[in-house]
Amino acid sequence: MKELFRQIYYLFHRRRLDEELQDEMAFHREMAARSGRKNFGNPQLMRERAGEAWGWTWLDRLVQDLHYGARILRRSPGFTFMAVLVLAIGIGINVTAFSLFDMFALKPLPVRDADRIVRLERRSPNAYTSEMAYPSYEFYRDHAHTLSAAIAVFGIPPMQLDNDVQPTPVSFVTPNYFTELGTIPALGRMLDPSRDSSPSASPVVVITYFLWQHRFDSDPSIVGRVIHLDGKPATIVGVEPYDVATLGGQGPSIWIPVAQQPYFIAKSKVLEDWTNSSIRMWGKLAPGVTAAAAAQELRALTDAIRRDHPDAVWKDEFIFISPGGHLQVMQPEMYRVAVMIGVLTLLILIIACANLGGLVTARAVARQHEMGIRVAVGAGRWRIFRQLCTESLMLAVLGSIAAIVLAYIVLRITLAQLDAPKWISPTPDWRVLLFTVVATVVASVSFGFMPAIQIARQKQHKTIARQILVGIQIAGSSVLMIIASLMMRAALHALYTDPGFGYEQIVSVDPHLSRHGYSNSSSQAYLAEMESRLRATPGVLSVSLVKMPPLGHVTDRETTEINNRKVMIYPNWIAPEFFQTMGIPMQLGRTFHPGEKNVVIVSQSFAREQWPGQNPLGQTVGDDPDKSTVIGVAGDAHINALNDDDAVEQYWPMQPGDMPDMVIILRAAGSPGSLTPTIKSIAGNLDQSVFPEIRQLKALYLQNVNGIEKVAGIISLVGMVAIAISAVGIIGLVAFVVTQRTKEIAIRIALGARPGAVLSAVLHQFLWPVAIGIFAGITLAAFGSKLLRMVLFGIDNLDPLSYITAIALIGIMIALAMLLPAARALRLQLATILRYE
Amino acid sequence: MLVLRVLQSGILHGYAIAQRIHVLSSEVLAVEEGLLYPTLQKMLRKGWVESEWGVSETNRQVRFYRLTREGRSQLKAELSSYDRITQAIQEVLRTA
Repeated sequence: MKELFRQIYYLFHRRRLDEELQDEMAFHREMAARSGRKNFGNPQLMRERAGEAWGWTWLDRLVQDLHYGARILRRSPGFTFMAVLVLAIGIGINVTAFSLFDMFALKPLPVRDADRIVRLERRSPNAYTSEMAYPSYEFYRDHAHTLSAAIAVFGIPPMQLDNDVQPTPVSFVTPNYFTELGTIPALGRMLDPSRDSSPSASPVVVITYFLWQHRFDSDPSIVGRVIHLDGKPATIVGVEPYDVATLGGQGPSIWIPVAQQPYFIAKSKVLEDWTNSSIRMWGKLAPGVTAAAAAQELRALTDAIRRDHPDAVWKDEFIFISPGGHLQVMQPEMYRVAVMIGVLTLLILIIACANLGGLVTARAVARQHEMGIRVAVGAGRWRIFRQLCTESLMLAVLGSIAAIVLAYIVLRITLAQLDAPKWISPTPDWRVLLFTVVATVVASVSFGFMPAIQIARQKQHKTIARQILVGIQIAGSSVLMIIASLMMRAALHALYTDPGFGYEQIVSVDPHLSRHGYSNSSSQAYLAEMESRLRATPGVLSVSLVKMPPLGHVTDRETTEINNRKVMIYPNWIAPEFFQTMGIPMQLGRTFHPGEKNVVIVSQSFAREQWPGQNPLGQTVGDDPDKSTVIGVAGDAHINALNDDDAVEQYWPMQPGDMPDMVIILRAAGSPGSLTPTIKSIAGNLDQSVFPEIRQLKALYLQNVNGIEKVAGIISLVGMVAIAISAVGIIGLVAFVVTQRTKEIAIRIALGARPGAVLSAVLHQFLWPVAIGIFAGITLAAFGSKLLRMVLFGIDNLDPLSYITAIALIGIMIALAMLLPAARALRLQLATILRYE
Repeated sequence: MLVLRVLQSGILHGYAIAQRIHVLSSEVLAVEEGLLYPTLQKMLRKGWVESEWGVSETNRQVRFYRLTREGRSQLKAELSSYDRITQAIQEVLRTA
């Protein structure tokens, strides 16, 4: 240890110490000269040897290498610029992707004890929901010792604020939400368990900074103001901070204490209903408690609930705990998507490195002369190798700096587009920087190592290395292009094909009767009256009822295996007019009769999978006593799983018990938006306290497609960038080969070779790499795209058209990239070259 | 080892170390500066010797070397292992 200190001391005072040594040795020589000795050897060399004892020579050499490398890079600005650009793109895309992942999944929320916050969800081996019943939440809250706090968020449809035309998003929440997160209000106070936990407390709300700014014009005296939500007065007690951090990154515009739920939603029994799963639960682990320990305790509590309320718990149910202190609570499927994106961005880095590898190798020839001189004056292979590696590392560092800047710009734009929470900043944190450093080192090794070895051994004429690099680039570009074109096709398909149901004219009207304490019979009366009034409205073609409305907030699904294939069944409970209203064709059989029981209508795909080659009509589904006979087969319409090609549907006749959950759907003749006021006034006449949620299906559908389109656009852009990089790389390589073989080509032409023969002689060596590269690309894409099935909107992941388009595009690019420089060979001035030689 | 041994009897500067060894070995051993100074630097690094500035017998500023505690124990260790080896060699020479 002390030795290290002395070494470091030497390093900082080396100039003085070196001079001292020099002085000392001069004295030695003087003395020696007096005693008659004359042969001293080289004083400089001896001093260096003595200095080496301190073990800092490597640093000297490194500084030398860096100086030299900088000089070399400065002297060929074109190459340096290209290399830095290619690296900036290759590393930059990876840094951007990682930064996004970091923001969503790694960066802790800026709240108190973010590492102890967990998301709690109901799971069983074959069922899953993100929501639970409020009484269950209370039970867990009161009995779990492993949780120091339990938070419930109860999302409801938007409410009408005063006389606004647009409804405002609201949420009920347990008042401890803000005290547990340590949120400091911008104005007034946040909700507080000691004041807002009782149903008898006066109704208060907290609003977001955005709402305060835009709806209330940043009124400084907002606290104490009374607003009306769906007609019910409530007092604003506080404004959230500008950069508020919320759990799961989601937040409404208005927060209301959950105890006030019955006040705002008249006659609601949701807070006492053990079977109505409608709240999202979050918890905070007690200090020192592991998630596993908490899971064990919660499992025991789930069993305790089962004893008293068998309806409230599934078979084998347990509470699934995931870390909640991040913007996004990661589900296993999301990790799969993240890995996929990671692989794609990594591909770009690989292409970039292969490309640079090619450039560096080609440059080696130009530097042959220089290397020759360096070897001649006594540089060892090791030293040259190290010098070249230093140069690569310098390029990579420059590239990374550019990459970080690039990523920062892209992230700023993205965050602005995404309307991300204000506390998120695009500035890289230590995780991103570490990632960048690793990427830099990996990149510099992968593009600089191979060429450096070759050059140091002075064997740079090997074509095989070049061929491998070309192959890698083409394989990588092929994969990216194929995936991009698959995504484009999917987006187009989704945009221009019929999704199996007519979405354009459909409006769904969800009165949420179950939340207003409606019984089965009163719901039935309400719905029947609503239906008949809507039918009487001009411009309404058809009206029906459905339990799981298309593109709704909730879906219900079961996973089963049919003939060893995993299938998602989406069951639904409907009125007989459903198919007519939705525009879903009946392929076989008939729709339900009113009040019919023990019958089922299945989708075409389900019938085909379950009873291949047989008549599905008359087959049965389920076991006694719920055994049902198939009476009809409907066309495929993934109304709640637009993107999932593996989804199948089962439709059951609605029963009286479903009534409070039913949603009205109607098909409009003209513009569906124009019906909204009529629907509102009908609802107002029927029950003043019920404000149905009115949704235009077309808008929802387009929103969904829009997202896919954006992703497809980004992937295509990335694919084009990749292919552009490889094209530039190939142009460079071919040009290099042409230059290298100028003499040979000139002689061939002089001897009367035809242009075609000359071209093939030049390009011959690239033929196999291109072919193998494309083949490898197709294979990789075919396997990799299996993961994409979910987002392909029913496009097969082996869709030939997409593959052909992509390959054709790549083929054209490669052909151009090769022919442009090669054609130069044909225009050579024969006489000049031959004379020159 | 020889340098350490020479320094045990007092502080000396580089040239004097070389001279001392030369004289003490009855002019058999000559320590060249190409070897002496790297060795001294290494010993400084290891902490076996310390250096200080002094004035030489020719009235010149020059660096003197002094053995440290660590240097002494190092010398002891080296002497004992050297003794062992020479003894062993002697044994072999005498009996073989």
